[in-house]
Amino acid sequence: MKLNDKKFFELAKESGLESADLSVSESSSLSISLFHGEIDSFTNNDSFELVARGIYKGKMGSISVDNVNKNSPERLVKEIKRSASIIENDDPVFIFKGSDKYHKKNVSKNADFSENIQEKVGILKEIEKKLFAFDKRINEVINVGFDASSHTYKKTNSYGLKLSQKMSTYAYYAQVSAKSGDEVRTGFYVFASFDGNEFNIDEFVEKTAKDALEKLGSVQCDSKKYPVVLNPECVATLLSFLISSLDAEEVQKHTSLLEGKLGQEVLSKKLTVIENPLAKNLFFRYFDDEGVATEKKFLFKKGVVSTYLHTLQTAAKDGVLPTGNGYGAGTKAKADVGYVEVKAGKKSEDEMLSTIKEGVYLTELQGLHSGMNAQSGNFSLQCSGFMIRDGKKAEPLALITVADNLINVFKNIKCVANNTKLVIGNQTSCPSILVGKMAISGK
Amino acid sequence: MISKNQAIRVLNSGLTTGADYAEIYIEEKDTFAVSIENGKVENSVIRHSYGAGIRLLNKLQSVYGYTNEVNEKSLTKLIQNLSNSFHEKQCIKVDKLVTKKAKDLSAVEQSFSTVDDNMIIDYIKRGEKVLREYDKRIVRTGVSLSYSITKVQIVSTKGINHLDYKERARCGLSCVAAEQGKIETGAVGPGASAGFEFFLKNINIEALAEETARKTIMMLEAKECPSGKMPVVIGNGFGGTLFHEACGHPLEASMVSKNLSVFSGKIGQQIASPILSAIDDGTIPNGWGSNNIDDEGNKTERTVLIENGILRNYLIDDFNGRRMGSKGNGASRRQSYKYEPTSRMSNTYICAGKSTPEEIIKATKFGLYAKSLAGGQVNPVTGEFNFGCSEAYLIRDGKICEPVRGASVIGTGPDILMKIDMIGNDLERAQGMCGAGSGFIPVDVGQPTIRISEITVGGNGGELK
Repeated sequence: MKLNDKKFFELAKESGLESADLSVSESSSLSISLFHGEIDSFTNNDSFELVARGIYKGKMGSISVDNVNKNSPERLVKEIKRSASIIENDDPVFIFKGSDKYHKKNVSKNADFSENIQEKVGILKEIEKKLFAFDKRINEVINVGFDASSHTYKKTNSYGLKLSQKMSTYAYYAQVSAKSGDEVRTGFYVFASFDGNEFNIDEFVEKTAKDALEKLGSVQCDSKKYPVVLNPECVATLLSFLISSLDAEEVQKHTSLLEGKLGQEVLSKKLTVIENPLAKNLFFRYFDDEGVATEKKFLFKKGVVSTYLHTLQTAAKDGVLPTGNGYGAGTKAKADVGYVEVKAGKKSEDEMLSTIKEGVYLTELQGLHSGMNAQSGNFSLQCSGFMIRDGKKAEPLALITVADNLINVFKNIKCVANNTKLVIGNQTSCPSILVGKMAISGK
Repeated sequence: MISKNQAIRVLNSGLTTGADYAEIYIEEKDTFAVSIENGKVENSVIRHSYGAGIRLLNKLQSVYGYTNEVNEKSLTKLIQNLSNSFHEKQCIKVDKLVTKKAKDLSAVEQSFSTVDDNMIIDYIKRGEKVLREYDKRIVRTGVSLSYSITKVQIVSTKGINHLDYKERARCGLSCVAAEQGKIETGAVGPGASAGFEFFLKNINIEALAEETARKTIMMLEAKECPSGKMPVVIGNGFGGTLFHEACGHPLEASMVSKNLSVFSGKIGQQIASPILSAIDDGTIPNGWGSNNIDDEGNKTERTVLIENGILRNYLIDDFNGRRMGSKGNGASRRQSYKYEPTSRMSNTYICAGKSTPEEIIKATKFGLYAKSLAGGQVNPVTGEFNFGCSEAYLIRDGKICEPVRGASVIGTGPDILMKIDMIGNDLERAQGMCGAGSGFIPVDVGQPTIRISEITVGGNGGELK
């Protein structure tokens, strides 16, 4: 059942709401996973989410629901008033009339769920078979799966603003374990794109299997400070926490590492980071959750803090324009970024490694939710990777930790390589980076 | 919710292609959360959710789907779509359903549905005031309370129409302290399956706020934690995160049944130090991780996982139990109707031992005292886990000395369980959210003070001196 938007906005007005908006997400998804040649799990869903917001007596109220019926307009308005009535904060609130210009593009087709599911199952069976055959040390394919989803996001408000965008994603993933003697290591790989056309089974199998096999024979290194190469996944992970310090609300409330640093060079000159939500890829967004047009912009330019990330509210408080970074449901938007790119350097990763006599190459950082303090920038994390000896990757390392501070890491960049890679989980394209010295704990 | 006759018709319409089990899980959930920052109500979140998930099983195959249109027509459409995955002859049929109302393990005296929003605000404001006024270096405070009221109906081809009702609530207190460019954060989050009265009677929000503020200010003054291998004493309560990660997850049937866990096939074997016994108990009255019934309709249980170091039981849901030739033991859980259920923990803890916490510290010449943990992560296949410390001190000559910050601890489950060489008599539980295959669910972790003879500690403070 669909919500009667017109009735909602009329009722909102009659009930004393100054303005109101509706955000609707509708998605269809299909997931299949295989274990030992059998369909272990198959899910097929249609899902619906609606967030209704409104300004009542100068305060923002909000409610979210996952279904609607004929009584919904009344219930939504009632709960918006309840929610707004308890807010005491005096910060200005806005339902946005609209940006002057939106850069709408059609970047993806809708996923087609009518295609042959048996064909997908066949592909998964082939992947599983090839993973087992890749190397006799691959002792288990923990899971192999396919996900497809099609998503529509619409925003309308009482000022007549109407925005919508469609996205679709196809993804294959697999996790394997490799065994040698008593040692077991796991490997994981995910492929994602708009339509799955570029999917290459053999390349996928090789990447998944090697991720586990290369870790066999892992040791702990001596505990000391080493020059550290962060691979693209590790760079993207640490960068996402640094970017969270650009949140203008954190700055205004004196809890950001980057407070008072706008326009200042606080990081290495070698680091340039751009937010590009308008890039034609899986992460395309031409408006944020508040309805503000997104834009391509520098976050850090040659080590200089180029902008803070604003919602409508934080921008009004600072007397600047919103930056198209307002995301999230509830009565309050939170600043976040879309797709991010790190400017590549000139050297290949091998050339960069060749300058290091003894160091550590990190491929994985874990325990972020407990070991990373985004406010102070201090982190102490479980990690794994390889030793670097005489300019080359040597024995694999596991059960080690790395500890440092985010600002130190991005200030001490010695080299940015040119091996740019898209890290899907972090919506970031970036190369490997060499950092001066970081504390590694092992033996 | 749907009637028994409607449920029978829906279930039967999904059985024609050979499914040997069908289940409809209907959930209606109202959630409310309010948060205060620096003295003023800053945000409120109201959510209403209503939907149904349907699961069909055929031997070791599972198909799942959900809808937010809970009526006979759309449930029939969904179950028929799902049943298209199977191509065999019908093997079962449902003739009747018996209604069973789940027995309330957690009495609710003052349901949140009857509590005025302003009463909740007044309660959390008491804590926020203490937090804010504790020290001028506390630059930001946040206190919140969220509650959920959930009605569940589970009907399946087992012939039962289960009805359940539960209320859960959790308080969150957090603060940020800053001084000369240094920033530290502190947080605590007590929760329970209970009504509002539980918080008023049992949770002293002022005392919690004071303790959180004290810890945060102290960490501001702490030095960087040294790194290397050392003995580690882990404090009671949230210290149980260690067992949750290192042992709890690898005992879940989702991994065990496929022979993927480090503890697969080890029932009856010594997997931990002989002084260690551990329990998962989903039946504790008012427990944050307790449930009247699990999400397959089975009664929750108190399961002895480890007894004197010997592995006794796994945590099993009915579906994964099929691979193991075992019945579920009430451990099937899911975040909501949007998730297929699987085996998960509830309230998991290490049993109390004989030593006093003071004796454990006194017996430790040098090492780390991880008084409070911040959360952790595990790879159940390799057993490798990590956790971060939110409050930690160095131990020198059997005494607790200077505080240290930025400490993380890593190890492998099977190795660490054998290295627990002292267990205290001060068992306590603490509340957390656990994320895994079937989404985020409330769980308790718990333990008395314990000592691990040697484990790798990560930090930025150089060697332990």
